[in-house]
Amino acid sequence: MKFESDPTLVDFVRTEVVPEGTSFRALHENRVAVRINAEDADRLAGRFMSRFNARLIHETAVDMEVEGFDMVYIYDFSKVKDRLVVVLEARISKDDPSPPSIAKITWQASWAEREIHDLLGISPRGTPDPRKQFLPYEWPNAAESGAAPPPPEKGPSGPQEKWIPLGIAPNDAYATLIPIGPYHPGVIEGQTVYVKVEGETVVSADIKTGFHHRGIQKLIERRGYHKGVFAAERVCGICSAAHGLAYVTACENLYEAEVPDRALYLRTLLLELNRVHSHLLWIGVVADVIGWKTGFHLSWGIRERVMDIIESITGNRVNYGIWRIGGMSRDVSKELAERVLPAVKALKAEMAQLLPEIAAHSVVKSRLVGVGPLSYADAFDGGAVGPVARASNWRIDVRADNPPHAMYDPKVISWEVVTDEGCDTYGRTLVRVKELLVSSEIIIQCLEYLAKTTGDIRLEPKVIPVNSEGIGLNEAPRGELVHYVRASEFNMNLPQAYRIRTPSYRNNALIPKMLVGANLADVPVVMGSTDQCLACTDRFEVIREGGGASQSMSWGELVALGRRGRFGRV
Amino acid sequence: MVDHVFTILSIALIIPISLFLGVMYSFLIRKLSARFQWRVGPIVRMYGDLAPVIGSTRIWQPLYDILKLFGKDALIPSTAHKRLFTWSPYLSLFFSFAAVLFIPFPGLPLLSGTPYSLIIASYLLIASILFTILGPAASGSPWGAIGARREVELFLVAELSFVASLFVVAVTKGTLVISELAGFVGSIPMMLVTALAGITMFAAMLGKLHIKPFDMPEAECEIVAGPYTEYSGKLLGTYFLAKVFVLYNMVALFIAVFLPPLSSSVLWLPLYVVAALVLIFLLAVVHVLNPRYTIAKALMWYTKIIVPLVIVGFIAAFFLRVVA
Repeated sequence: MKFESDPTLVDFVRTEVVPEGTSFRALHENRVAVRINAEDADRLAGRFMSRFNARLIHETAVDMEVEGFDMVYIYDFSKVKDRLVVVLEARISKDDPSPPSIAKITWQASWAEREIHDLLGISPRGTPDPRKQFLPYEWPNAAESGAAPPPPEKGPSGPQEKWIPLGIAPNDAYATLIPIGPYHPGVIEGQTVYVKVEGETVVSADIKTGFHHRGIQKLIERRGYHKGVFAAERVCGICSAAHGLAYVTACENLYEAEVPDRALYLRTLLLELNRVHSHLLWIGVVADVIGWKTGFHLSWGIRERVMDIIESITGNRVNYGIWRIGGMSRDVSKELAERVLPAVKALKAEMAQLLPEIAAHSVVKSRLVGVGPLSYADAFDGGAVGPVARASNWRIDVRADNPPHAMYDPKVISWEVVTDEGCDTYGRTLVRVKELLVSSEIIIQCLEYLAKTTGDIRLEPKVIPVNSEGIGLNEAPRGELVHYVRASEFNMNLPQAYRIRTPSYRNNALIPKMLVGANLADVPVVMGSTDQCLACTDRFEVIREGGGASQSMSWGELVALGRRGRFGRV
Repeated sequence: MVDHVFTILSIALIIPISLFLGVMYSFLIRKLSARFQWRVGPIVRMYGDLAPVIGSTRIWQPLYDILKLFGKDALIPSTAHKRLFTWSPYLSLFFSFAAVLFIPFPGLPLLSGTPYSLIIASYLLIASILFTILGPAASGSPWGAIGARREVELFLVAELSFVASLFVVAVTKGTLVISELAGFVGSIPMMLVTALAGITMFAAMLGKLHIKPFDMPEAECEIVAGPYTEYSGKLLGTYFLAKVFVLYNMVALFIAVFLPPLSSSVLWLPLYVVAALVLIFLLAVVHVLNPRYTIAKALMWYTKIIVPLVIVGFIAAFFLRVVA
């Protein structure tokens, strides 16, 4: 299938959407890049939201070296024009990098602006939350080496308040500040949610990420397009298929891409298998969080069979390594498809029987109904994506609005977007349970196609042009995933910038909002309800504290550190 | 004189028996829940190639877990009230073990013939649980404090149902001596009232033993380990040992009071074992089938369902006493 764009879009954008743009450029596949004056960004954001019902996908910045920074605002206009994505670009100087903040217009840009500040030192003017996103709040003032912490900054919910167990000053005696994390049995990965409780009721909450920096974006920028796919897959161990597909979609967007049909079906097959195992994993995690080990084991027992199917198709369980720019590297033979098909059908029948029973369990219901409420308005303003948004009765699904380079054509594959009006954790559960069944239906259709036909799975790779931009949108199991790639102006093989915005990045920002008013027992449930993937959320570089030259540790030193006893004995 | 010698001998005998049965019950709960959850659980007959390395069976796994803790250092947090923090586990163990002596075992009446032994036994069990609240509250950890708070709330309702169910039977049969209750079957109306009290007692056991819908005091996903968060090494091992004895006590007390005459004579021993197994099986099933309630919903469940049942039991018992 050849992915073509609509040539009339530039005119539409020039006349109706951004008349104040200085230059207009049609990117491949219904993406239009508009260069604007940086001072217009906040005004435009307000207009896009109110008049066109547009949605901010991501805000980021690109280092253009001596020329300054490029601010990049990606908006989704699919409600106005089919698949239209508008990329606003504004050049700002490096002397005073302070463009107007758009987080004061729409709160969902808040994390992105904090991230830009952490990454490039750009401080948006008037941003409502100027704290650090991935670096420690105190950085670079207080090192870990026992120095006294600085006086607390005044943040939105004051996370730096001193926590003194059972010895709180009389004035504060009604409230306790409880840190959930960085390492806590309720959430397997590292993050800190500070909850302030009175009795067992949460009165305020704040979230701090930044415990998983790995520098994957930088790694991709230095690997070249064809190696980057393997790094991109390793952003997350659960939704690796989603990242692989978003990466190849972004790179194929850089040129007039053509992908064989069979490869598209293979991509859909893998993405949906990935979604099935991810949702089963989520159901297990939530069952575990509400203390139901049986639900956990049942759901993970089924998931194990999905993993076996994935292994038989790709040869790997977690990182499949078969995504390629322009196709796939490994085919599914007729025999394999016919062998897998009955297994998937059996699995679907079992899920259709078991999962509704789990969802209807009375104690499960009593723990999930009404927990972590998120109204449609809050979800829209906060920028919720994926099942969290769909459970707030928002029909948003990238596969329908802005499909990735895979087979989601409703004329060929019958599937539907699942929504629920519950607006709570139980609604999110129901959405995922129904999506599991829809996904297995898609898998069965893909397998039937693959068993019936033969064909190429990859065309000759083309030269990736310089000075182009690609946006890979994809519906990961947790929601909308964006990979943004800016090709270099000079180098044929290395991108100028690579940016990833994961679904958990958006949904995690909403956790404090959902937590207020909850019971302490429900805090892990609310945290789990967004299916947060922290490996996805924190994917940036580690900066060692200390101010001086970055210091590294030898293997021996690390081992010695690990073996040191609690009294400092080695 | 002969009586005293026999009592002392039987006390010496009940120590290994209660430990053995407590460990066995814990093993069974773990094994049964594992099998219900598609897991293996502690292995009864070790795989052939592993048997020379780690022994031929893992039936003693609950005991090994406790013994392992005794080989570790105990950390005492600097924020803790040291004396209370250190002594609470030992006192909890002491009281739960002391309760063993007042509950009869088939063939070993022990001290259950003492006047008011029912009150003594229930007080000792309450004291044991009290010290699982006091120690953590003294630990200075917010997790411990919240765990202890939940334990107190659960304690109020579970203990109420526990004591009230015992007293329904005591009122019905007109005695406060466990050995008399254990040997007294009574008429059919009495048996019906006893059965009703047995149901409420089972519900109280769920709360006291932290069986699944009511394990919120130690909900690991929410409050780390709850009361036990700051405990480690020997102190934690002592708490776990106390829990083993509490489990034995609850099963033994249930059989003695609600299933007479199984505890009265050594001839009933096979049926005693069957009754204990059935009880453990039921506990495991409830444990497996349910997620955890929040503390507010647990309180609601007890006050809405169990407390009215206990009141009905009291009315029936009172009616029986007045009419009979």
